[in-house]
Amino acid sequence: MLFFSYFKDLVGREVTVELKNDLAIRGTLHSVDQYLNIKLENTRVVDQDKYPHMLSVRNCFIRGSVVRYVQLPPEGVDTDLLHDATRREARGG
Amino acid sequence: MVLGLRNFSQRTGDGVGLPVLDTANGEELMHVQSNVSIVLGNNPAPDSPGTLYISTKKMVWLSDVDKEKGYAVDFLSISLHATSRDPETFPSPCIYAQIETEAGEDDESEGSDSEGNETMDLSKITDMRLVPSDPNVLDALFDFFCECAELNPEPNEEQEEEHNWITSADQLDGSMMTEGELEWQISEDPAIPIGYTNGNHDVAHSMLELQIDDQRFDDADEMERETHSGHQ
Repeated sequence: MLFFSYFKDLVGREVTVELKNDLAIRGTLHSVDQYLNIKLENTRVVDQDKYPHMLSVRNCFIRGSVVRYVQLPPEGVDTDLLHDATRREARGG
Repeated sequence: MVLGLRNFSQRTGDGVGLPVLDTANGEELMHVQSNVSIVLGNNPAPDSPGTLYISTKKMVWLSDVDKEKGYAVDFLSISLHATSRDPETFPSPCIYAQIETEAGEDDESEGSDSEGNETMDLSKITDMRLVPSDPNVLDALFDFFCECAELNPEPNEEQEEEHNWITSADQLDGSMMTEGELEWQISEDPAIPIGYTNGNHDVAHSMLELQIDDQRFDDADEMERETHSGHQ
């Protein structure tokens, strides 16, 4: 559950969640659970012209299974830490 | 499992009571909210008032007027839900939900084609709004939707992800993988393969190469950036 822990550390930061249906939503990461379901606050749709029905949405819950990418803030990514953690997890420890 | 929205009119007690739930498989009613209208797709007008039932498996809306009328959608098919309160985009505060359909990539045009049509194809509906007469219940409804979504993670992920690298890994040599590794591979989001290139044994290594090839195929620029920044 490395990525679960990792995303938990990003709570409170701005992320952009891109769904498999191409909808991309930017917002503050409010919470994440073990299935990588994601709750965002202060959301805005990246392509507002294409998704006008989402304009009024200010917070949302996104099912983990429909997420394609999560774009992270560069300052929220500690590559050395991730490197070590993923290597440890890959070894089963 | 059937994705998407469907008609639902099975009520208990001679067809006037609660929706019939699959109690044999552990389905329980979580919440009932009366005086809720439903808006499907791009239809301009909300349906007549009804009652919203949230169970551990699905959301059911039953009309108060027409006892034959109702809709259901499994939480497994709800990709996203949100509260919507801006009167400029929609006149009433509501719960907005996106529904995953079998076709998957159907876009807006499908919905508008069926506008005003009695025989609306429910399986193509990708958006739904639930409009409670009392806007103060929105947050509570939102929380129930969250709770129930979490109760319904993807079943049988192995089967659903047939076309990606997991299956190829199994084909390489399933016996070399421990139970733990197998589980871990499946649960990972393949979008972020950072750091896995240091696998110790050969099987893991060739599997990783497969994975990375797939990723770069998908989105060369982004992956290059993300993987390389961690490995140089």
